[in-house]
Amino acid sequence: MILKKYTASLAILLSFLLTPALSTIGFGNNISVTATVDKTSLSIEDVLRLSIVIQGTQNTPPPELPSLPSFRVAAAGTSSSTQYINTQRSVSITHNYRLTPMKTGTVRIGPARVRINGDTYSTQPITIEIQKSSNNSRTAGKTAFVEAELSSKKGYIGEQLVYTFRLFHRIDAKNLNLQLPFDSKWFHKENLGEPKAYLKIINGIKYHVQELSMAIFPLMEGLITIPSSIIELDLLYKTQNRNRQDPFSQFFNDPFFGQRTQVQHKVLRSKSLEVNVLPLPKGAPKGFKNLIGEFKISSKLGKRNLEVGDTTTLTVTVSGRGDVKGVTIEEPDLKNHFKIYPDKPEVKQIVDKKQIRGEKVFKFALVPLVEGSKTLPQFILPYFDTNKGQYYIAKTQSITLDIKPSSTKEKLNLVKSNQQSLKKDKPEVQTLGKDILPIYTELDEFKNNDTYSLTFIGVTFSSPIILFFILLFLIKWKNRMKYDVAFYRRRNAFKNANQRLKDMKDHSKSKEFARQLSEILRGYIGDKLNLKGKAITAEEVEACLKESNYQPSQAEDTRKFLEKCETFQYARMNLGSTEELLDESVTLIKVLEKQ
Amino acid sequence: MKYSNTITSFLFIFLILFKLPVEASDYRNEFVHANNLYSKKQYAKSANAYETLIQKGVRNGYLFYNLGNAYIRMGETGSAILNYVRAKSLIPRDENLAANLKFAIQQTLDKIEPPPLGTLNILFFWVNDFSLNELIFFSLCLNFIFWVNLALWLYFPSLKIARNALLFVLLLSFISVGIKIKNESDLKLGVILAENIEVKSGHSLDTITLFQLHEGALVTIIGKRNGWLEVRLNEKQKGWIPENSLGI
Repeated sequence: MILKKYTASLAILLSFLLTPALSTIGFGNNISVTATVDKTSLSIEDVLRLSIVIQGTQNTPPPELPSLPSFRVAAAGTSSSTQYINTQRSVSITHNYRLTPMKTGTVRIGPARVRINGDTYSTQPITIEIQKSSNNSRTAGKTAFVEAELSSKKGYIGEQLVYTFRLFHRIDAKNLNLQLPFDSKWFHKENLGEPKAYLKIINGIKYHVQELSMAIFPLMEGLITIPSSIIELDLLYKTQNRNRQDPFSQFFNDPFFGQRTQVQHKVLRSKSLEVNVLPLPKGAPKGFKNLIGEFKISSKLGKRNLEVGDTTTLTVTVSGRGDVKGVTIEEPDLKNHFKIYPDKPEVKQIVDKKQIRGEKVFKFALVPLVEGSKTLPQFILPYFDTNKGQYYIAKTQSITLDIKPSSTKEKLNLVKSNQQSLKKDKPEVQTLGKDILPIYTELDEFKNNDTYSLTFIGVTFSSPIILFFILLFLIKWKNRMKYDVAFYRRRNAFKNANQRLKDMKDHSKSKEFARQLSEILRGYIGDKLNLKGKAITAEEVEACLKESNYQPSQAEDTRKFLEKCETFQYARMNLGSTEELLDESVTLIKVLEKQ
Repeated sequence: MKYSNTITSFLFIFLILFKLPVEASDYRNEFVHANNLYSKKQYAKSANAYETLIQKGVRNGYLFYNLGNAYIRMGETGSAILNYVRAKSLIPRDENLAANLKFAIQQTLDKIEPPPLGTLNILFFWVNDFSLNELIFFSLCLNFIFWVNLALWLYFPSLKIARNALLFVLLLSFISVGIKIKNESDLKLGVILAENIEVKSGHSLDTITLFQLHEGALVTIIGKRNGWLEVRLNEKQKGWIPENSLGI
């Protein structure tokens, strides 16, 4: 009963574990791949939805789409489904794509391919008709349209132009995604604040308008085309139940319950615009640094009457229409008369009537070193006025200072102060330039850093380990030889027997020969089996050898040999028989040793 | 006689087992020649000479460093960064290399943060300061010392020379080698060599341009398909670029 219960639980568990696994298994014979589109004819303002359905498996790589130069392609997610119909299980996965048409005409969507288990499946090609927008007139009461305009159709290099993009929509719009086409190669751009939203009546129809303006500064001369701006958006159409007879429908059409909305994804394009960028005229004044716009420059001194060692601040302000960020002013040349400490310039930039205006303030702390009257040099700022098409030079007024000598007491202070200030105001070492450090030329550094080979690593790594285990074995063997008598006797049995047999040859004629031979053999067997070999009889030797798993024939041969030796101890032996007996004993010991 | 034969056989086996790498010292004259070309401000020729040495199989951090310098002088920031990065894997603690790499990165247009360090790299902070060879060499030395220590312990059981501490350091060194190998296989850095490249949403020219990168930008390579490489700038920005626009 308990077993049944566990079997059922195990089956449930296995089914849970295997279900997701099975869902990923492909059913090779039933795999099919199809491509579908939501429409085959659309306007350039619409979006095409392409779905690639892989039937029969869910574990596939994403499809490889064909080349689609006429569309901008965006993935729109995947969905998978599993169905059971009459115990038949079918799985599928759908890859969705959003295709935004980029041009009109007849377009063929080639076969998309999917590789599954080494096989390639292709979809059928689809032909799509892309038409122009149904009505190009913006006053024809369209739900939504866009327009773009440029402040001027021509301008100088570096002149600020204003690009304005407007979206008009009668109904709610969301998920706006605007792409402005400016190429950084042709224009430098600056935002002119946040987008504006307002209402406008066109031909009696109220439109919501979203307006975005941007300052663009042409970087290259010539006729430049600004391509269309593209905005993608979802238009929300509110629908009502047409069955006005139905009181429930009327009830639920009340705004309190919200209304059903239908979403339409649209892609709207503005017209492309052209601008003729003119080069700056020749005859630029000396010191002109590509400053375009209309600027003023002024200077102000903090304190005009001062003594040697005092500090005053010279403030130079550049303001006007154009990019003031790039304005630079060189430090006035007042060497030997003043110590000059320039401050970090401050920049303020505003947008006034879609024009970038700004102010950049430079400050210099001046410390007079010598007494007398001194006139500060003028600051000069050449610029090109695009409105008048001429170069101008803005200048500051001259400023004259009257520097008095310092009093005695202060003179002393001045010396002291100078020393302190030398410590305190010592300028940091400035980095004047940056460069790379030199190349290496020492040949000692020029060695190969190739990665070690795997063989080298393997051998170097394993060598000490192998050596260690060999050493460990040797130590254990030595210890065993030292402390394990049986082991020691067994290891030396053959060596000792051999040595004694060699020593015996000189006494081959002696009657003692057979007795000694018998003793050597019994001694050998005694050492091998850890017995007192000299004391055992031939029968006992046979029994012991059999017990120690020697072959019965070897045990029997040994017994017979020992008996033969006993016989020869009491019989006369000639030279031939002793030599024969000796050879027989050597052979027997060798055979036993091999066991 | 018996021992000398054993040693000779061992050396013979050793020589067969270890394929000897290209020895840099064989090309010293060519290295000097390339350096001389650089000193004479013939940067293109010196870069060519350094490249030839690399093609011959010489792997030396200072060679890659010098080649990077030659490319910087030629105005090829992308190639310079690529060779500095290659040099960094061989001589990771070289200060001149760090300074020149920083200089080269400052010349690029894109502001790109280095790939974030994983938890393992934070724990094993020293891994990035050593080359793979150095870490392997250190591990092999430690391995040798550890087993010698064990052998000594067999003869002199009373001698316990910090056996456990050695084992711990040995394991750390093995893990360090593992992390380094993983970093070098996972964090494959590439450098944009084209002046300007559009990073696409898929491995096809007609897919959406996600962003643009400029010469010298460092990216992490995370995939490859049909002659396109999937690259990642950070957690949010990744895309596909043609394989030939990237130096690895």
